[in-house]
Amino acid sequence: MRSNLISSSAAVLKRNKRYVVWFYLMNLALAFVGTEAFSTHVHGILDHSLYAGTLLHGFDLATLAELLSRPEFGPMQSSTMPSMMLAVLFLLASVIFMPGVLLGFSSDHRISRQEFFRSCGHNVWRFVRLFVLFAIVAGIVGGILFGLQGALVKGVDQAANDDRLPSLVHFLSLCVIFLVMTVIRIWFDLAQTDVVLKDENAVRKSLSWGFRSTFRNLGRLLGSYVAISIVAAIILVVGIVVWHLIVPPSSVVGAFLVSQVILLLLLAMRFWQRAAAVSFHVRNSVEASVEAESRLAAIPA
Amino acid sequence: MILRARLSVCLIVLWMSACLFGQETSGTALSIPATTSAINSVTAMSQRVVHYEIDAKYDPKKHALDATETLTYHNLTGQPQDTFPFHLYLNAFQPTSTFAREAKREGTRDENFETWDPKFYGADEIKKFEVVDQGDLTSQLQFIQPDDDNKEDKTVVQVRLPKAIPPDGYVQFKIKFRDQFPQTVARTGWYRDFLLAGQWFPKVGVWWHGAWNCHQFHATTEFFADFGVYDVKITLPQNEVIGASGVEVSNVNNPDGTKTLTYHGDDIHDFAWTASPHFKDYYETFQGSMGPVKVRVMLQPSHWDQAERHGRIAEETMSRFDKWYGPYPYKTLTVVDPEPGSAAGGMEYPTFITGGTAWWVPKRFLLPEQVVEHEFGHQYWYGMVATNEFEDAWMDEGINQYTEAKVMDSIYGRNTSTMNLWGATAGEDEFDRMFQLPVSDLDPMVRKAWQFADFNSYGGITYGKTAVVLLTLEGLIGEDTMRQAMHTYFMRYRFTHPDKEDFLKTIEEVSGKDLHWYFNQAVDGTQVLDYEVLKLSSYPADWYKEKVKEKKGQTEYVSNVWIHRKGDFVSPIDIEVKFDNGDKVREHWDGQDRWTRFSYQKKAKVESVEVDPDHKFQFDHNNFNNSQTVEASKGAARKLSNYWTFCSQFFAQFLTWWMV
Repeated sequence: MRSNLISSSAAVLKRNKRYVVWFYLMNLALAFVGTEAFSTHVHGILDHSLYAGTLLHGFDLATLAELLSRPEFGPMQSSTMPSMMLAVLFLLASVIFMPGVLLGFSSDHRISRQEFFRSCGHNVWRFVRLFVLFAIVAGIVGGILFGLQGALVKGVDQAANDDRLPSLVHFLSLCVIFLVMTVIRIWFDLAQTDVVLKDENAVRKSLSWGFRSTFRNLGRLLGSYVAISIVAAIILVVGIVVWHLIVPPSSVVGAFLVSQVILLLLLAMRFWQRAAAVSFHVRNSVEASVEAESRLAAIPA
Repeated sequence: MILRARLSVCLIVLWMSACLFGQETSGTALSIPATTSAINSVTAMSQRVVHYEIDAKYDPKKHALDATETLTYHNLTGQPQDTFPFHLYLNAFQPTSTFAREAKREGTRDENFETWDPKFYGADEIKKFEVVDQGDLTSQLQFIQPDDDNKEDKTVVQVRLPKAIPPDGYVQFKIKFRDQFPQTVARTGWYRDFLLAGQWFPKVGVWWHGAWNCHQFHATTEFFADFGVYDVKITLPQNEVIGASGVEVSNVNNPDGTKTLTYHGDDIHDFAWTASPHFKDYYETFQGSMGPVKVRVMLQPSHWDQAERHGRIAEETMSRFDKWYGPYPYKTLTVVDPEPGSAAGGMEYPTFITGGTAWWVPKRFLLPEQVVEHEFGHQYWYGMVATNEFEDAWMDEGINQYTEAKVMDSIYGRNTSTMNLWGATAGEDEFDRMFQLPVSDLDPMVRKAWQFADFNSYGGITYGKTAVVLLTLEGLIGEDTMRQAMHTYFMRYRFTHPDKEDFLKTIEEVSGKDLHWYFNQAVDGTQVLDYEVLKLSSYPADWYKEKVKEKKGQTEYVSNVWIHRKGDFVSPIDIEVKFDNGDKVREHWDGQDRWTRFSYQKKAKVESVEVDPDHKFQFDHNNFNNSQTVEASKGAARKLSNYWTFCSQFFAQFLTWWMV
């Protein structure tokens, strides 16, 4: 069943890869804008200095530290804030455009632009409510779990002579937190899918359905999500290794291409999870209607 | 008769004098042992002033120690002495001490003072203080505060003897004391079941430059003591693995489940030891020019896979110090990998150092190597040359930081001597330079350690600035000359407590150069060195003619180059001007004025200009403005911008992965 969900969602993703590309381009465009301040600062310092060679032909950390500490570079915030703000903008854009993506995923034909945007506009307020609810639930659960983790690791750290033990506890507890947060993510992914596909105005009903479905099919759904997350982690690690081993330090284009392929594939992994939620929902609805039909058929005339 | 009577009177007077003299010095029988069993030398190497004999019993459950100390002091001050100050360093680890007061002012030092539990304090209490032939003087002990007005500080205690000790005489103190070790602060104390016993016994001050030098323990200061002989007995539970300064003489199990280890040290000025049930030993032998040295690495079991790393760096460092600066005369070196999480890492005591690592540190991240190298380097500058760390911290920490850069660079490469991991590199000297940049004009190098503006300034100037000032000096006089000067300084001043003038004079003597202009600004001053290429221009020489057609290699250009001394550090400097036909011109400017201009007329345009093209000046405040090119080279900025874009996108996707 799990491989079915993974493979069927992969097929969905393959049919709808244009969404991944559009979201990727949107993120890239926003990141370019966010990088502008940083870029202006470093061009101003490096472009006419021979000292910049240590950064181009290698990656000298002391030179980088000196660069970032120069008064003419400006406060670090002037570079980080635009990037942060535009990352938040990407998040909000994702909230707005996700209903169209989910509708596209559920459809067996290519939905029109009008259908896409209509779905986005129609569900925007529902998605905002789900986003806020997710933030509350994940904030509370995450806060508790990270608090417990901190106390646990501190306790082990104080008691253990072996410094591998706190690291191990830290890693294992992070794994547990990852699983719990993934379960919450599945719940809300299903709720979002339900809102769009059933055109459900009352998000509490979708949340309730999502909650029930998540825990009734926990192994199947969590297995799929975790498997895709592992693929994402492998992509990240392999991508960075390739970047390090193959791309020469002075090849700006090479580094750009490899880094963008990594990001595109990572984004695709998240959309794959989304596709898994949609596939589950569609299959669940079909099974429910078949069951209802058979129940109707069983009633004597 | 008269003659006989006179003779008798004389004999009586002589006898009485002898009795009186004997009582006063107590001491014709006292001496400092001339032992050499802990060194690879048949004669003593230092002028031995003290002999400490300590018998200590440690209770690991209470983190406390009861001990008796017999200190024999040889009065080589050249004058009678009736006043003796003693350090009681462990009393620094109390909230009212000068150490805590200064550390709190800076925020923290190892301890969060807001939540400092009294059970984590330290104390060194003298139970009984007796002077042989002068009686019990416990009630005469008086805490003094030579550096500040903090009457609550109890890190220096003074005793006035009823009878003065004559020049070249001896005095013997018998002291009973009790230590309560703190939870590790400033690299002393316990952490879980580990103990690093440093600065743990009452230690007499140093008569230096005509006065007692016995400073309080400050938040930034380290130590200063006289050379001598140490015989130390430590009794503790049998399950403890123990390491200490000097050589182990005996190890005897007692019927009560304890064991007593005896250590002996020659020509050292301090004694430290460590104990933990968990240490695993790794041994190496270094063949030094004075004889073999047994290197013992006491590792945490979780760091056992780094045993060879520790052993290798210890041996490589010893080899270079032996070759470059002089021999290591001791028979042992103990390298301690302290308890993880403790504030005991990175400390030096004679023949005994603590390292610092973690289980995950990759091979190309050279933190453990740096710490071991650095602490071993102290064996020379703190251990043998033994400068006054309270007053001339730069002469130990800073010189040591310089030699660390030299040793690490020679082993791991100049640009990769801190790390070479995943394409990212960092060199020692670059970090030394970065260390001092934010504070370079705050304090001079020659400042008493507790009088710096703050911890950052103390660290940046004492470690970072000294290192880059000496690296620059090396650029000015040449690497070989600098090495010869360091060798001469070490060999001439080992075991003598030299001061600034001794060091600087040696450099000038060996190099044969007057370097006062440099030392005045770099060592005594706070001047900042910053030269920049202000601007450059080229235009056709016959610019006034209409429709001038420029042809490369044929058109004659007038080029101007402006060099600006932005900082107040005045130094002669080289400039290299590169033309677009490949020609290079070297200029030399004395730097006296604030700026200078060089003009050229030739059939080529200026392509680039670089100040200090040989990179001699390691403490130029801004390396980016040391050069200027006519054409922009955008590669580096684009590369960094690409990294920034990647990180921004990754952050946005990560946020969205979880939130939407």
